[in-house]
Amino acid sequence: MSTEADTTPTARAGRQLPAWLEGLLGQMVALVIAIIGGGIIVMLVGEDPILVFTTLLRGAFGSSERIAGSLLQATPIIIAGVAACIALRGGLFNIGVEGQLYMGGFAAAFVGFQFALPAGLHMVVALAAAVVAGGLWILIPAFFRARFGTNEVVSTILSNYVAILLTSYLTIDVFKRPGGWSETAPIATTAYLPQLFDFSRLNFGLFIGLALAVGFHLFLTRTSTGYEMNTMGSNMKFAEYGGIPVRRNILIVLLCSGAVGGLAGGVETLGVHHRFMEGFAPGFGFDGVIAALLANGSPIGVIFTAIFFGALRAGSLLMEVETNASREVITVFQAFIILCVSAQVLLRRRRDSNQGERRWRF
Amino acid sequence: MEVLETIFNVSLISATLRTTAPILLVALGGTFTTKAGIFNIGLEGQMLIGAFFAVLGSIWTQSAWGGVAIGVLAAMCVALTFSIFVVTLRANEVVVGLALNILAGGLTITLTKAIFGTRGSIVSGDIVGLPRMHIPIVEDLGSLGKALGSFTPLIYLAFIFVFVVWVIIYRTRLGLHIRVAGEKPAAAESLGIPTGLMQHIASLLCGLFAGLAGAHLSLGYITMFAENMSSGRGFMAVAVLIFSIGDPVKVLFGCLLFGFADALSLRLQTFGLSSYLVLTVPYLVTLGALFLLTYRQRPKTLRETAESLQLIRREKA
Repeated sequence: MSTEADTTPTARAGRQLPAWLEGLLGQMVALVIAIIGGGIIVMLVGEDPILVFTTLLRGAFGSSERIAGSLLQATPIIIAGVAACIALRGGLFNIGVEGQLYMGGFAAAFVGFQFALPAGLHMVVALAAAVVAGGLWILIPAFFRARFGTNEVVSTILSNYVAILLTSYLTIDVFKRPGGWSETAPIATTAYLPQLFDFSRLNFGLFIGLALAVGFHLFLTRTSTGYEMNTMGSNMKFAEYGGIPVRRNILIVLLCSGAVGGLAGGVETLGVHHRFMEGFAPGFGFDGVIAALLANGSPIGVIFTAIFFGALRAGSLLMEVETNASREVITVFQAFIILCVSAQVLLRRRRDSNQGERRWRF
Repeated sequence: MEVLETIFNVSLISATLRTTAPILLVALGGTFTTKAGIFNIGLEGQMLIGAFFAVLGSIWTQSAWGGVAIGVLAAMCVALTFSIFVVTLRANEVVVGLALNILAGGLTITLTKAIFGTRGSIVSGDIVGLPRMHIPIVEDLGSLGKALGSFTPLIYLAFIFVFVVWVIIYRTRLGLHIRVAGEKPAAAESLGIPTGLMQHIASLLCGLFAGLAGAHLSLGYITMFAENMSSGRGFMAVAVLIFSIGDPVKVLFGCLLFGFADALSLRLQTFGLSSYLVLTVPYLVTLGALFLLTYRQRPKTLRETAESLQLIRREKA
């Protein structure tokens, strides 16, 4: 937040909060409104909101197995969230994380079951394949965005559909395990991501996610390249006048975002399923995008929003068993949160949007 | 050659028109928001909500048109929510559109389970589908005529609406004001045009057409609701809108292309090709068109702006 705001009549002297606290308070208000809205939906569906929420909580944090389950669900969301953050901080949208995740997941599985390599190295190569697949999957949309300004929101969304169908094709029509159901052969144990506990499938992927989030935070705050990227993200025109090679950077930012999106899929394959299955990670990519938006593009914030969404997912499984509400209630709830946040975030930033021309005009 | 003949025959033409209709309807809705300067990624969700509530309304009212009306109303509610957040609260269009799409997906599944106790789809004999038309003279014109003369009404309406929307946008005061509000908001304000109101109206009109598109999906050719049954058509429409800059005639051609790709992919499935690969065709065609056609549209927008501002000044004088 710049100091300009302080001179506007609306900002009252002496009542200023630090930017991060102001942001956090805003998210909290949004959360409360969303809980009320979610409660109303639950009531409309004919369920008791208190029961649904307590069941959600119990399903997410009721025991150490359940907490591990929540973190297990959170792992791909953290990585996908960082992927979305990279694009957001560069002033771009990568709504195609879901597709990159599928491509990365398949690439990792392919390396896992097709090649024989020593333990450890096999895993690293498989993860690298996931990164490359994710990056390749966003290459064409990224190139056209950088070169011709082709809207990347639509192109990345549409590539999701292609990625999901393509991986289904590869899984079912090409690499289907004989006798298996919509899945490839299992990957070699040498490619497994190590599990953390014996009572849960929670794995080393969680640390990969945390390291990525912290690493990207440090990149943004401690390096000049990170500063340049931030400048581009907050005002692309300004960045261009300032001599930042915007076109080249758009390409790099989107490629990095896609590569991390692919990694999310690789981690899910190598850590959890140990094979590629059709529809193996439904919605994790989208959850990552929402987690990044809720965190306002902050990679450290994504850790928390992703764990929150992971807990919602884990809790919703128990909720669906014990109540009549379907687990998609949490999707509605997530949408409410984003709506509330989107409104208040821009109220706080109104002065910015008054200055620059809005990006989405055509 | 024989294969080609079996692929490209009369029924492909009628299938193309049939698959074009929903994309065309939703894209025509999007022309209003596009002209009003709103990037509306929420078309997909509005369409899905329209499809769901059309089925619900059809069961409640025991009438297909009752279903269409309720589907349209529901989609317009979503559209109004969209414009309240985007225009009044000045939230980011992409974020709000995305959130509403997610909301639509989750809400329809949740309500399906709550009302019908099923997961995934609503199939019921109680759903009254739209009747097929019988246009006497056309129907007598051989096999093509037979196919073209017996569509459900929304298919004909979709193509008629191309003209209607063109007239509204280019030949009425409302259309002019919507365009100016979108192209030069500052100039519009100085000429006394309430830009916010224009954008709300554009969004509601958009919801109306998206609702019709949804109703066509669930009550037109087949009478059922399936989870996420809009399957990206709303996003394809957004792609059309980007490279047509909301011009209804170009929208028609873009949608015909995608409708053809859609129909072709359905047809190719019967030839033993992998259904997964074949289903990617419409998305790939859309992406290809988007990439090839999107650059060099900015000069056109600027020229249009100058023209419509001139019109307004003449009107004022």
